[in-house]
Amino acid sequence: MANQEIKATERFNWPVTILLLLGLFTVLFPLYMTVIIAFKQPSEMTNSVIGLLSFPKEWSLDNFREAMRVTDFWRSLFNSFLITGITMVISIIVHSLMGYAVARNMGTSKFYRFSYFYIVSGMFVPFAILMMPLVKQTAQLHIDNMFGVIILYVVFYMPMNVLLYAGYLKNIPIALEEAAHVDGASTWTTYWKIIFPLMWPMHATVAVLTALGTWNDVMTPLVIMSGSGMTTLPLAQLTFQTQFGTNYNLAFASYLLALLPMLIFYIVAQKQIINGVINGAVK
Amino acid sequence: MRRLLLGLALVLCLSVSAFAAPVEIELVHYKQEAYEIFKQLEEKFNATHTDIHVRFLSPADAVTIMKTRFIRENYPDIIGIGGDMDFSNFQDAGLLADVSDYPGLAKIKPAYIDIINGLKFLPEPGTYGVPFMANAAGILYNRDMFNQHGWKIPDSWPEFIKLCDDIQAAGIRPLYFGYRDTWTTLAPWNALAVGIAPADVCQQVNEGKTTFTEQYREVAEKIHALLKYGEEGPFAYSYNDACTAFARGESAMYTIGSYAVPQILSVNPNMNIDSFVFPARDEPGAQTLNSGVDLMFCVLEECPNKQAAYKVIDFLLEPENIQMYVDAQNGVPCSKGDFRLAPMLDGMKHYIDAGKMADYHDHHYPSEMAVDAQIQTYLLNGDINAFLSRFDSDWVRYNRDLISKVKKYNASH
Amino acid sequence: MKSQNERARTFLMIAVPILLLFFAFNTLPLIKGFMYSFTNFRGYGTKFDWVGWRNYIDLFTDSRVGNSYWFTFKLALVATILINILSLIMALALNAKIRFKSFLRGMYFIPNILGALVVGYIFSYIFTYILPAITSTASMLANKNLAWIAIVIVCAWQSIAMNTLIYISGLQTVPEDVYEAASLDGATGWNRFRYITFPLIMPFFTINMVLCMKNNLMVFDQIMALTKGGPAQSTESISFLIYNNGMGGGQFGFQSANAVIFFIVIVIISVLQLKYLNKKEEQL
Repeated sequence: MANQEIKATERFNWPVTILLLLGLFTVLFPLYMTVIIAFKQPSEMTNSVIGLLSFPKEWSLDNFREAMRVTDFWRSLFNSFLITGITMVISIIVHSLMGYAVARNMGTSKFYRFSYFYIVSGMFVPFAILMMPLVKQTAQLHIDNMFGVIILYVVFYMPMNVLLYAGYLKNIPIALEEAAHVDGASTWTTYWKIIFPLMWPMHATVAVLTALGTWNDVMTPLVIMSGSGMTTLPLAQLTFQTQFGTNYNLAFASYLLALLPMLIFYIVAQKQIINGVINGAVK
Repeated sequence: MRRLLLGLALVLCLSVSAFAAPVEIELVHYKQEAYEIFKQLEEKFNATHTDIHVRFLSPADAVTIMKTRFIRENYPDIIGIGGDMDFSNFQDAGLLADVSDYPGLAKIKPAYIDIINGLKFLPEPGTYGVPFMANAAGILYNRDMFNQHGWKIPDSWPEFIKLCDDIQAAGIRPLYFGYRDTWTTLAPWNALAVGIAPADVCQQVNEGKTTFTEQYREVAEKIHALLKYGEEGPFAYSYNDACTAFARGESAMYTIGSYAVPQILSVNPNMNIDSFVFPARDEPGAQTLNSGVDLMFCVLEECPNKQAAYKVIDFLLEPENIQMYVDAQNGVPCSKGDFRLAPMLDGMKHYIDAGKMADYHDHHYPSEMAVDAQIQTYLLNGDINAFLSRFDSDWVRYNRDLISKVKKYNASH
Repeated sequence: MKSQNERARTFLMIAVPILLLFFAFNTLPLIKGFMYSFTNFRGYGTKFDWVGWRNYIDLFTDSRVGNSYWFTFKLALVATILINILSLIMALALNAKIRFKSFLRGMYFIPNILGALVVGYIFSYIFTYILPAITSTASMLANKNLAWIAIVIVCAWQSIAMNTLIYISGLQTVPEDVYEAASLDGATGWNRFRYITFPLIMPFFTINMVLCMKNNLMVFDQIMALTKGGPAQSTESISFLIYNNGMGGGQFGFQSANAVIFFIVIVIISVLQLKYLNKKEEQL
């Protein structure tokens, strides 16, 4: 480990670093616009290029404060955290298991091959066609609440995540499990002891993609939970857009606030992706 | 015997609880921007009534929420919606109650009751909503700019064109459109159509009495003629861009409805805006105001206690409550009586008072036909014949079920 | 033999409940939606008529639907290729021994988190005001031959982050010693990528192609944010029609038929894509 660290600091690839820093313009410019709009007042909005790119008259946090008040920020944030967090954990457990079952049997069993294509094809169902029947179904089952939303997310993200896990497992040699089997461990134990930890980089990837999708989603909570009195951050943010007017300044402030937790989560998660134990383990 | 006693006890319990607990009335409306007003009204109502307790909900994307609640069969008691296609569909789906027996209807201007009655797909009797607020569309203008140059409000199409020429000669852009958001094309379209085409043109077409090619040609010609007075390449700019541009004095007039005023004022709070009726017709004094029902209250068929719902609507129709809403939302009340209107409606006031108005034609267009996008296409390519003939052929296609339903209804009545 | 049985039983106990859950909340509503495609149902209420195959017949004679298929496939094909090339390059670069690694990875992920309202506003502004000011041309969004390119650009800008992330996690499965062995053999640069790295991350290429194709075929948010289907109906995607006319309008039955056909089309494309790419993987 110490040896590796020395190697990492030894020589940086500066040309690539510089190119990446230059390319950052494509992200920083829109981000700059977002930030200055979030600080401006509606009366500072213009249609001229210079006017829009100029700094706000004053750097006041009023927009952020107002956006937090309007969206009932802490409560909405808590609900969003809850839904996203639970969905993420269940997805990692359930989808990795399914991915494992499929990946290890697809070559030999028609049933698993079919299951794989059956689940993956579920990804292509337009949500609009499912929406009305799902509203009815969740109401009949009395899960027209947060619980129902989480179940739906677990189902919605299953195709993508099974595809990801199954693909990842192709690169994990089966020999590892067979060795454990010879030692008398059950399949279930082998999975949790050996395979699950090996997939850590993929868990982090799945966590980021699933969390991101649920974090920003408006439609599902809107149609499933409306009337339960619970609100999520994206639902609360709908307030900024009315039929004949949008308060971009408050909206942008609110979007920046909602962006931060995801960004932090991503940075933490991607460390997991890089520090994945696979290299060491496969060796 | 025991069962009887139990039953008695139950009845007793129920009646006691009926005395104790007030009737719950839930109202969901789609004017999310009026959240504060409805909150105040809710508090006021609950403070003054003991027999009824109300909940006024102002959710975002309310129409989607209403539709999903209908699917769940979780009905509110009253819904507040606009007089548009959603109302027609809800009514046709049998969701709304006939409120013809509601005494409060006598307080509403007949013109607005006619408008919502005309929105029903079938010409059957019955009134299915209580109009509360209206909006009006035409032309908004920069009053200070007009005063400064001494421009006069036009009263006919030739005068309007002359005015546009004068403004252009003064080095100012007469109009702003913002046609990238397709729906904005409907604003001048509707305002022209109410002046030129008959109010019931859609119904006449459904009955096979006329065609749009015949009725809409002049409307289409005039909306195209306006293009040269607006910004260059209007299809690049959005509604929001247009509001900002008008607020910043980049044009003297803006072809939009009163509903755009709050967005414009948010950019320029000190702007002095007034409006006038779109001078669509060539002959002076023959104009019609484009006004539709912006918010109406409909009692649901499933509402168990209609009398209680009526009492809530009675409360909302009290003049001081109407005035409160008008002050906050720049609305036009649908009730009879004298109300203080927002200054940007000055130019339209005498039409409102006289009831010289007609509903937005697009309230009768099926939204999936995307007439707004068709108008945008026409304004881009200028092919009037292709536009009108497609209007007629698409109309038949998208309204097939409705047309056959109307025919069947007319045959049996 | 006993352990073989145990293994098979464990897999079944995992797969069956998950398949049932999936059936209940994906396939079952899909079947109901399929039934509505034979009606003129508007999505709510109880009144509707059965219309047989009419919606399907209409679908094949509706020029608007035809145009939306053409637009959607054109966009999806171009965007998918563009996104995959760019995100592969990004992944290799971000996986290299670079300075400020965490910072750069974080920054490049931001486009994926920004909501549609923000992206729509910012890019509308860029296309409407900034680009024309620089190039002194008219806005791309107002030109019915160019508007789709603007949408490709925004789709790429937003989704490169996600595909890069998947490629990066794929690159983690390439053991360090493979590279070491390769550099001993003198394989560097393009050759090392072509003959060593790429074959090893081929499964992730497959995943990205499928996910990317799917996301682009279902493009909706970017269209609502940028053009609302215009100018002159040139950017109406299939999802745009299904959603706007099915949910917003009264065409729920008709658009259900559209959704069913669309679903079948993408499933066929994706299964072919998967089969072809899986075969390639095996060859490598």
